[in-house]
Amino acid sequence: MSDDKNSTCNERAFDHFFKSHAKLLRSYLYYKFGDLDQAEDIVQDTFIKLWNNCSKVPLDKAKSYVYTIATNLGISNARHQQVKFKYQNYITQRKNDITNESPEFVILEKEYMEKLKSAIADLPERQREVFLLSRIDKKTYKEIAELSSVSVKAIEKLMHKALVTLRKKIGNI
Amino acid sequence: MLEDKKDNIFLSRWVNGELSPEEFQEFQSHPEYEYYTKIIAATNTLDLVDYDVDEELTKLKSKRKTTPAKNKPVIKLLPYIAVAASIAILLGVFLFNANDSFSTSYGEQLAVTLPDGSEMILNAKSEASFDKSNWKNNRTVSLHGEAYFKVKKGSKFTVSTTNGNVSVLGTQFNVKSHASFFEAVCYEGKVSVKNKQENKILTAGKGFRAIANKPSELWAFITEKPSWIDNTSSFRSVPIRYVFKELEKQYNISIDTTNIDNNIIYTGTFPNNDINVALKTVFSTLDIQYQLLDNGKTVVLEE
Repeated sequence: MSDDKNSTCNERAFDHFFKSHAKLLRSYLYYKFGDLDQAEDIVQDTFIKLWNNCSKVPLDKAKSYVYTIATNLGISNARHQQVKFKYQNYITQRKNDITNESPEFVILEKEYMEKLKSAIADLPERQREVFLLSRIDKKTYKEIAELSSVSVKAIEKLMHKALVTLRKKIGNI
Repeated sequence: MLEDKKDNIFLSRWVNGELSPEEFQEFQSHPEYEYYTKIIAATNTLDLVDYDVDEELTKLKSKRKTTPAKNKPVIKLLPYIAVAASIAILLGVFLFNANDSFSTSYGEQLAVTLPDGSEMILNAKSEASFDKSNWKNNRTVSLHGEAYFKVKKGSKFTVSTTNGNVSVLGTQFNVKSHASFFEAVCYEGKVSVKNKQENKILTAGKGFRAIANKPSELWAFITEKPSWIDNTSSFRSVPIRYVFKELEKQYNISIDTTNIDNNIIYTGTFPNNDINVALKTVFSTLDIQYQLLDNGKTVVLEE
């Protein structure tokens, strides 16, 4: 069993599985629970659990296994402390190519970005999760739906709601 | 704002480019259009801080191996110590792993993780022991020599020496106790120092010292950890004989002081990894001539 390349007990299969799923799991947990350090710790703990139970979890079930375990770990952590979404320093802005803008424009732009980030931080958990997975991690609605086992339609509704909520929060600037 | 768009997934479809040409044209002329475009354009410039998957995997693997051995004290050598670590240290680690006492030889340092995760770093020629089985109820380390402690919060933690006891609740401090020399320095939190005559509370940045029969003294400092951790011994108004003691311990030499007055007060530092620089530093500032004999094992001093 442990030599089977479709088993999570197989070192190479495990490594490959980690490399292709850890990053998205970390984003998912961060958007959901709002704490990046905690998200990274949970990723570690989750994969250790997977390794310890590898004989019971075949590779094709591993993805939903890690998402379930990680979400539960996150919930039991979040119960103790209501964390506000910490976006500062974690969500960064890609460098803009255009640098010959007027200083006023740059300042206004900066203000807008701050407003946007705090509006994202204030989004209800599910809306934020969907919105950021779609926009930052460039996941399709279908992929996002699979992560939390809901319908694509539900994700589309959340995305729509997230945009409306952001629009209201940001106002007319 | 978008009340006329009854469709509750309208914006999702728009973001995904799923609107029909008619719908899209209509939306473009809607007053809300530019605001939504701006939100999407701005969000598209956002990114999440990098995640080093390979590094995380390495970290995971190291944890995976250590998880079953949860309750054993983990003995680790700090990287810079590892370089200098001799076979003797390694041997020492294996020999002392079984019981609960640790010791270092000339010029060595040893980092020990105590059962609750507190750290202890032993300086050269020092010995420490503790009761592992009763650690939960009795966090006491017996020390002879010098060690630096980073204590995890919890019950009272005591370092007991022949010259007195130092106890804390969770903090970082250094204790040095040799013969008649007793020194405790607090780097973080609060420690209580107790010897036969006195009981003092030290706050962060304060030190306490009692030498032989002299009255004890307190002083303030601003460093964050003892200098010996970084391979430098430093002294502040200390009788020169204690400086010689430290040289002997760091370099496994013996210093013949018959020709000089070993009560001179010394303030200064010397490196723990270069004997020539160390001897030069100490003796040239004191204007003392020195000679190395017996293949460099004995230092004879002359005024």
